[in-house]
Amino acid sequence: MALGPFSTRDHLEITTLGTEFAVSEIICAGAGYWLDQRFGTSPWLLVAGAVAGFALGLYQVIRGAGKMTKKNAILEKVEKEDGRR
Amino acid sequence: MDVAEIIAHHILDHDWGVSLAGFHLPITTHTVTLLSVSLVLLLGLAWIARMGQKSRAGRLLTTLSETYVSFIRDGIVLPNMGQEGRQMLPYFCTLFLFVLCVALAGLIPNMKTATANISVTAALALCSGGLILYCGLKFHGPIGFLKGFIPSGTPGWLVPLIFPLEVVSMIIKVCVLAIRLFANMLSGHMVLICLLLIIFVVGQMHIAAGAGALLPAMGLEIFMTCLELLVAFLQAYVFTLLTSIFAGSVIHTH
Repeated sequence: MALGPFSTRDHLEITTLGTEFAVSEIICAGAGYWLDQRFGTSPWLLVAGAVAGFALGLYQVIRGAGKMTKKNAILEKVEKEDGRR
Repeated sequence: MDVAEIIAHHILDHDWGVSLAGFHLPITTHTVTLLSVSLVLLLGLAWIARMGQKSRAGRLLTTLSETYVSFIRDGIVLPNMGQEGRQMLPYFCTLFLFVLCVALAGLIPNMKTATANISVTAALALCSGGLILYCGLKFHGPIGFLKGFIPSGTPGWLVPLIFPLEVVSMIIKVCVLAIRLFANMLSGHMVLICLLLIIFVVGQMHIAAGAGALLPAMGLEIFMTCLELLVAFLQAYVFTLLTSIFAGSVIHTH
């Protein structure tokens, strides 16, 4: 079942984006925290990890959205050529 | 009544393993569930295969298994991985049935949902990660697989920045597989026990209030159990579908 211009696969990928954002933040901040404990640099690596995680999450969201837009543009073009739109 | 302790007891794994000469064999409720589900699936499917077309029940069960395999092949593997995915079909069939049966086993009294344990889902996600890696290496070779991480049209000076980001993205995607299944299974069971506990928490205030809360709480409990049935199927489908999408994205890079 597809809603709007998105397919079921797109919906699944959209719902994954949110979790991916959260997980990248948690993993990077966690790695920063662990390194802080190891090297005694608290809280700098935690902050750096959190910023890196946020950047990574944002990159994933933008890239995921870009991929879907590109795919839909191709689909629209094909449908126009076929006379379906 | 310690509500938190009851919830923790319901959710967490219990180790009643044995220690032999300093070596601890952890027999836990989750491992027992996993092993029993694996055994039932192995013996059950082998039995169906042996029954063949001889009896009516055999024909029915064979048809059912064929429909299941066709669903995985035509609904999940081929649309996302193309013809290359045919070789991986046994893995997806096993994955779907295993995740589904483990989730359903959790609804049987005295058994636990093993997928509500992060170690189990992490192991499943590792297997899926291994499959994604295998697909990439098999169809593109080591160099081609690494090249596939760089999106087409990326300027040369951006490659050192984009490449690690893409590699970490793929690792995070596999982690998300594990966390999604774990969180869904855990939350479902927490809601179930919390709804049941409403009766006792309200009953502690006044016995009549507890009796009054019985019907709505049980109604919600039945509703949530039905929802858990749906979630079991849905999560097995999502886990398999996402694995096939990621493997497909590695096979068809651009």
